[in-house]
Amino acid sequence: MKNKWLSFYAAAFYAFLYMPLSVMFFFSFNNARRNVLWRGFTFKWYGVLLHDAGLLGALLTSLKIAILSSLLASALGLLASYALVCRPPRFGRAFYSSWLNAPLLVPEIVMGVGLLSFFVRIGVPLNFWTLACAHAMIALPYTIGSIRARLLSLKSSQLEEAAMDLGADQWEAFIRVTLPLAKPAIVSGALLAFTISFEDFVTSFFIAGIGVVTMPIKVYSMMKFGVTPEINALSCCLLLTTLVFLLSARMLRRTPNS
Amino acid sequence: MPGMTRRDFLKIAVLAGAAPSLLAGCAGEGDKHEVNFFNWSTYIAKDTLPRFSLETGIVVNYSVFSDEEEMFAKLRSGALGYDLIVATDYMIPRLKALNLIDPYPTGALKNTGDIDPKFRNTPYDPDNAYTVPYLWGTTGIGFNKKHISKRPTSWWDLWDPKYKGKISMLDNARDCVGIALLMKGCPQTTDSDAAFKAAEQLLISQKPLLKQYSSSTYVDSLINGEVYLAMAWSGDVIQAARENPELDYVIPKEGSYIWVDNMCLVKGSRHRADTLRLVDYLIEGKVAAEIANFVRYGSPNAAAKPYLDKSLLDDPRVFPPPSVLKKLQFYAILPPDLAQTWIDTWSDVKAA
Amino acid sequence: MPPGKDALPPGGRWARISRPVRSKAKKFLAWLFSGKSEKASHLLILPASFWLSFFLVIPIVLLLVLSLAQRGPYGTVIWHPTLDNFRRAFTPLYIPIVARTLLYCGAAAVICLLLGYPTAYFLSFYAGEWRDTFLILLMIPFWTSALVSIYSWIIILGRDGLMNSVLTGIGLLHTPLDVLNTPFSVILGLVYFYLPFMILPLYSSLEKIPKQYMEASYDLGAGAFQTFLKVTLPLSLPGVFAGFILTFVPCLGDFLTAEFLGGPRTYLIGNLIENQFLMAQDWPFGAALTAVLLGAMLVGLYYYQKLEAAEIA
Repeated sequence: MKNKWLSFYAAAFYAFLYMPLSVMFFFSFNNARRNVLWRGFTFKWYGVLLHDAGLLGALLTSLKIAILSSLLASALGLLASYALVCRPPRFGRAFYSSWLNAPLLVPEIVMGVGLLSFFVRIGVPLNFWTLACAHAMIALPYTIGSIRARLLSLKSSQLEEAAMDLGADQWEAFIRVTLPLAKPAIVSGALLAFTISFEDFVTSFFIAGIGVVTMPIKVYSMMKFGVTPEINALSCCLLLTTLVFLLSARMLRRTPNS
Repeated sequence: MPGMTRRDFLKIAVLAGAAPSLLAGCAGEGDKHEVNFFNWSTYIAKDTLPRFSLETGIVVNYSVFSDEEEMFAKLRSGALGYDLIVATDYMIPRLKALNLIDPYPTGALKNTGDIDPKFRNTPYDPDNAYTVPYLWGTTGIGFNKKHISKRPTSWWDLWDPKYKGKISMLDNARDCVGIALLMKGCPQTTDSDAAFKAAEQLLISQKPLLKQYSSSTYVDSLINGEVYLAMAWSGDVIQAARENPELDYVIPKEGSYIWVDNMCLVKGSRHRADTLRLVDYLIEGKVAAEIANFVRYGSPNAAAKPYLDKSLLDDPRVFPPPSVLKKLQFYAILPPDLAQTWIDTWSDVKAA
Repeated sequence: MPPGKDALPPGGRWARISRPVRSKAKKFLAWLFSGKSEKASHLLILPASFWLSFFLVIPIVLLLVLSLAQRGPYGTVIWHPTLDNFRRAFTPLYIPIVARTLLYCGAAAVICLLLGYPTAYFLSFYAGEWRDTFLILLMIPFWTSALVSIYSWIIILGRDGLMNSVLTGIGLLHTPLDVLNTPFSVILGLVYFYLPFMILPLYSSLEKIPKQYMEASYDLGAGAFQTFLKVTLPLSLPGVFAGFILTFVPCLGDFLTAEFLGGPRTYLIGNLIENQFLMAQDWPFGAALTAVLLGAMLVGLYYYQKLEAAEIA
């Protein structure tokens, strides 16, 4: 009986979770300027998006920053994960664990204003590169989490030891055995980092400066002026992007051990 | 690593971070013909910029802001990127003091003779060096006729408990504190603490009646009935009234303020020549008129007058008659600490 | 074709570097990735550590320093130490804002817990082979931009939004409800956004409970509810605390939800801080407020670290 109630609850819960997003999705096809009453199906708002040069520019900027920051976060995360899994330092293992998770706990507004004051104080112009670096910092816990989990399971299967028994030195074992096997997790972490950077708003809002307009910042500026179906369409595009990257990350995580 | 102090480390790190942008900066002027134009929302006609791009081949990257403080904050953070901004009169001294705008090179513009002399040699730009007027307007009360029993006539109507939860105010210090001082009978140049306290209390007393502070969504709120009365900027409401005739705008009997928005050149702009061409284009009589006709604000451009819609010229909400005009004042240019008091008063109102 | 002068030697570019350097490099890399040296581990973690120090710690430290400075004309900063900003932060004007923030965020965290626990329970014990699917379904809103979440609620809760249209349409309401711009809509927005932050730690903690414990409890004659109360719930407490921290602490700095879903009376610390850095241009005061917020974060980080340490042990 508990099963039935709980299942019903879970169903209702997921319905609640998806209701706003579905509403937004459906109304992006609404043929009405004001968003309420349904007035017919249309793709025109998506068409408007495609022709909005500012929007396409923001999309390109977001993509570039996301790629750069996910590469950075993955590289940093890979090194740190390897160290944490294969030879955790005696002192400060727990410290490193939670220290590297710090960005998860710091409210984004603190990061945003902190970075803003910092960059202004040291005279670094706020631009594309500073934003990418900040995003890499925010995404670090996610790449580390992803890679670390995989490395842990690899460690237990002792494949590196096997490779070394066969004559490879540690570096070769790492490059030829561990790395390829960890690749799905690395890519998965990179995809997560990509998503984080792509959707980041608060930090970007403070330190994007002028020339750098990312997608969420564009949505924010549009939202300041009220509800329009174009924002619906845009939000759905953002959602779709998330979906694609998330599912890819997920599928990579489930690659079986070869 | 021995031998390297923390400061060296930091310097290197900063250089490493700054290097790419330095390299980008070395690309220099003339890499692309474009202008990054930062303007208020709903403040230009649909075809103005596309036609400019077509005629000159210069791409205009147009972005909008909903409140000038946001624009100022962005500029102040030392970021580069905008070439041309539209700033309200009271902001100009601030922008000049913080070295954020450049003067127009003398003789660079061909069309400035067409600006109405009333809008030249202003208190905020006595030498006409830093600004070129773009549009002017007033602050008043926008309302939805369907939901109001009688037309608002006074600023005190925005404090009417009958409309609790259905009132909206503009979200900036200048308009709200300015009107509050006006309602309390204090001159806008006052520096009396008591006056500011009174204004602050007045605004705070209004908060339980307010639905929102908004400088951009209030028109939508008026249209869909979330709000019946709103502190509004003239053209925003009049623009929307074209498609939503139940909207209307009025200047209250106590009077109000006229403000002038100006085009300013941003310091560090990399497309100065193209920007000047854009400004020149925007102050051509026909173009200025097209903009004014579309956004329903007043044009400070004398050359635009022959091309303005008759309906615009005859609209007392856009061009108030002398009886109303004498109750309207331009914003005084305040010394920095007084300007700061306005901002602080407003901050306290928002926080209360 | 015979190899010309500039052709790559066998072994590629790598072979161009002189042999002693190459072997030294390989030795170094081998040592680095050996998994045998602690120093090597520290070195590997160093880049990430440095990154965090540079982009997280130093900015925060700078904020703390900034909070002791004074505001100059037009929003410039005068580096003259003073505690005035902190004194100002604790004046009666701002205390209500702090209290309101704690209240809203606390309420949101508690509601997230109440709503999320049954779902986490379902996911751990009843989802079966559908578990992965459900987890992904949970993740999607988690990864959705906050703006998108907030925006979708504006569409629903607005006066002419979906909720009102439906309810008046079916006759349940005569006049539309003014739900937007109220504390209710703000808390709702916060709950909606932070639910996954609560559920994931809960789920991970519930999942770790060995099924044998529960079976043993049944074997000893306890009913389902008793088992839950005496076995499952206590064992899931680490997850509850972790979830609460991960929800409550980031929530404290939230300003977006209040900005779009709230009204003039739902001003939170996040909005106040944002205001200082954007409108009021009083960075020192904003920094002081941020420092106060950071205090809360540090408390949270401390307890989170203890939980992590306990889990690793």
